[in-house]
Amino acid sequence: MSTIYPESLMPELAPPESRPPRLPLGIALILPAQLTLLLVVLAPTLIILWLCVTDWQPTSGTAWHAAEYIGFYNFQDLFYDRRFTDALLRTILVVLVCVGLEFLIALGLALLFLDDWPWRRLAIGVLILPMMVIPVDAANAFFMLFNDHGPVNHVITIVLGRPFTYAWLADPDWALVPIVLAEVWQWTPLMFLLVLAGLTNLPRNQVRAAVSLGASPARILFRIMLPLAAPVLILALLIRGIETFKIFDSIYILTRGGPGAATESLSIFMYNGAFVYFRIGYIAAAALLVLVAVILFCIPLDRLRRRHGG
Amino acid sequence: MAVQGILPSWSTALKRFAVLAAMALSFLPIFWLLSTSIKPHEEWAAFPPVWVTTQPTLQNYRIVFAPESAREFAATQSGSLDYKVAGSAWKAFGDSALISTAATFLSVLFGTLAAYSISRFGTGGSTYPLQLLSLRMFPPIAVVVPMVALFSLLKLTDTYLGLIIAYTAFTLPFSIWMVRSFIDEVPTELEGAAMVHGLTQFQAFLRVTLPLVRGGILATALFVFILNWSEFLFALTLTSGHVTTVTVQVAKYVSASSGTLYGVQAAMGAISTLPVIAFGYLIQRHLVRGLTFGTVKQA
Repeated sequence: MSTIYPESLMPELAPPESRPPRLPLGIALILPAQLTLLLVVLAPTLIILWLCVTDWQPTSGTAWHAAEYIGFYNFQDLFYDRRFTDALLRTILVVLVCVGLEFLIALGLALLFLDDWPWRRLAIGVLILPMMVIPVDAANAFFMLFNDHGPVNHVITIVLGRPFTYAWLADPDWALVPIVLAEVWQWTPLMFLLVLAGLTNLPRNQVRAAVSLGASPARILFRIMLPLAAPVLILALLIRGIETFKIFDSIYILTRGGPGAATESLSIFMYNGAFVYFRIGYIAAAALLVLVAVILFCIPLDRLRRRHGG
Repeated sequence: MAVQGILPSWSTALKRFAVLAAMALSFLPIFWLLSTSIKPHEEWAAFPPVWVTTQPTLQNYRIVFAPESAREFAATQSGSLDYKVAGSAWKAFGDSALISTAATFLSVLFGTLAAYSISRFGTGGSTYPLQLLSLRMFPPIAVVVPMVALFSLLKLTDTYLGLIIAYTAFTLPFSIWMVRSFIDEVPTELEGAAMVHGLTQFQAFLRVTLPLVRGGILATALFVFILNWSEFLFALTLTSGHVTTVTVQVAKYVSASSGTLYGVQAAMGAISTLPVIAFGYLIQRHLVRGLTFGTVKQA
């Protein structure tokens, strides 16, 4: 404590009995939040541990707590389920492509905004519009943009000079393109703001020194600015990566994982399994695997954080 | 700015053009939503598509909000459109407003108390805030599956209370982290001085710290409200018709297999997203802080 004044004066001025003990107040204040989280996070986790060793299907008429115990059959099943492993790999692919594109576009844009010009604030205001839109509505807009009679095909028609009415969302090979573009459109603005914050909050003397010593712009960018901004940039990539891994809304609106299972992400696979095929026990096993994977992913992150002193 | 001049100056015009192109692309999907929402029925799926209609109409908005307009429209169409256009979006807006407001209030109230406790007493230890953050890493669908079972046991399925509890819990990490970043900026000396004058710690929190972070708490509330209003997965899986949110209503109109109601779905899309866009610009300064859990402040 750097505050000598209150710490040293308080005990003499305030009688001890009028001061409530410190720890109970801290716990009392955190209790409402903690209890809510326990109800909505811990209780479901315990239920998952039970459901994943049952074959509970809500349509069968038995209550979930009376479902039949089937051991580790669900996990064995998951291991051989191509649809599950495909969804997992596809999700990782979508994360890499989306976050990569978002980062490159955001970095390019941020470099354009480093100096000041008259309508800079207005331009930022317009550029961040996509991240304000409800994700479901962003997907709704892309659903219409990529329709066979939509404006995207119109532009391609004009460029090609012949009618182009391709049904993007109905083609298993190409349906991921509108999904990825919707995601990139919506979240590049956040990446842009983060990269811009990272680049403009740099200590300026080093950049000034490099400029006056005649270093080339590319050298300044790669040798000074990006390394200095690395903590913010890594945080941006991490946050977007984690959020994109959960991708659900845009795929649900655009394709529901179809055609077939060609655009199923992990979240959509689990949604379809639980709410279309009603295989709750099976999906609970998948959910448990995902929870464990996330925890395993968090542990090295926490180590990293501690090494860098918080 | 210090970094001015690291790019060659001949490219200024090119740079401005790139910015304008990016602005146009940012606006295009919104433009399409708005433009389609006022198109008459014949132009919804015309090819080549109509970019700006010459016969603007409010019919699509009437179909969204007035059941009798929806029935009239459905009668002119072949097939069974009734189930999609029937019903008024007023119910969805009312339900969303009620659930989002209640959940926002609880989340920010609990979040502020917890944030103060963490900031001033270090409750839960040094890793507790990070544990809260890791809750945001779990895909919500993994929690939804057992929650369906839990809610059926507690009779919370398809109720307002059920969604309010779910939304409160899932925005709590945001509330706690964001409010904590504001409280951390208030020097503890201020509370110390108040306590010297005879206030208890809790009174000092209420009368000294809270008024100072009022703006931050309001920004947090608006941010959490946006998250709640935009939420889709819980609304989709924990309700079955009695309670409807705007996001579920949008999905109802889009329905991938037979999406031919472009005008109507555009009208619903435009009107449902406008409130949160307005709120978003109100807290523009704090958006980055919110979406990065208070760790990055906007330039």
